[in-house]
Amino acid sequence: MVFLTLSYWIRNRGPDRYWKVQEVLKHARHFRGRKNRCYSLAVRAVRRAFVYATKGRKLKKRNMRTLWITRIAAASREHSMKYPALIHNLTKTSVQLNRRVISELAITEPRSFLSLAKLAQARQQEGFRAALGDGKEPAGVFSRVVLLQ
Amino acid sequence: MALCRNVGFWRTCSVLLPRRPLLFSSAVRTQSSVSGDLVPRTSLSRPPWPEQTALVSEEEERSRHAAVVSTVNQKINQRQYGRLFAVVHFASRQWKVTDEDLILIENHIDAECGERIRMEKVLLVGAEDFTLIGRPLLGKELVRVEATVIEKTESWPKVHMRFWRRHRFERKKIIIQPQTVLRINSIELAPRLT
Repeated sequence: MVFLTLSYWIRNRGPDRYWKVQEVLKHARHFRGRKNRCYSLAVRAVRRAFVYATKGRKLKKRNMRTLWITRIAAASREHSMKYPALIHNLTKTSVQLNRRVISELAITEPRSFLSLAKLAQARQQEGFRAALGDGKEPAGVFSRVVLLQ
Repeated sequence: MALCRNVGFWRTCSVLLPRRPLLFSSAVRTQSSVSGDLVPRTSLSRPPWPEQTALVSEEEERSRHAAVVSTVNQKINQRQYGRLFAVVHFASRQWKVTDEDLILIENHIDAECGERIRMEKVLLVGAEDFTLIGRPLLGKELVRVEATVIEKTESWPKVHMRFWRRHRFERKKIIIQPQTVLRINSIELAPRLT
């Protein structure tokens, strides 16, 4: 006599639960506490870690740019110039170096950075001279400035 | 325009005030008690912009420029520079590059592994004693930057995950980007400069 219905009552829930769990736990092995061992705690921690990594990749670009700007400002102040003046005058002389490269030059190639700062300073003085002009009124205009000269 | 007018204002101030004592001839003393500045120094006595340094004459400027160009030309002709570095625009990024440098580029390049590539957009070339700054690029006859494609791989699988709590929103995507590794072989300067 063989009892056949007993075997029908056993459910096979799936053969690869172990590997699915390991897929999540492998990303949690360097965490602190029970999150690195227990699956239900690890799932939540790993999800947060992935979300923070995604957001961090966007923030990294912003932070690096502010870091470069701070470094360029500090280096240009060593040469008696301010950061906005330096950048504006470099763009006016059509030098299209980006902030990352200018900050690297300021760190590793100080002489090249000095040459860039001098270029920007010369362009700044030219701009001031062009704006201030001769001190004379334009031709054909009669005013007390012309009267006094 | 406004600045021209304001310059006129500062100049009229400086011209007008010394004339005033002549009107009061009876009050003129033989020895003036105020020596030095005719105008008392206040916040509005001088213009807020710094005083202009003396202009260098055009011939002086041209001679200085010619001297600088000739020294740099001499150095390039006699190859007296040591190691050169260049700033190159490649794959929408700017790289500061020397000889024997490795560069990792996060996209696919059409060249095969082992092919030599010439990078044409050079923004700046520098040596120990001189720098050549391009406005914005340096000429192709002036600089030659050569590189070889070493490796074409894929990046490690980055996880892009978005999660909005209490809204049952969770999206997970694995991003694998193609990468190329280039080795910069040489940077050469041509001995010709105007």
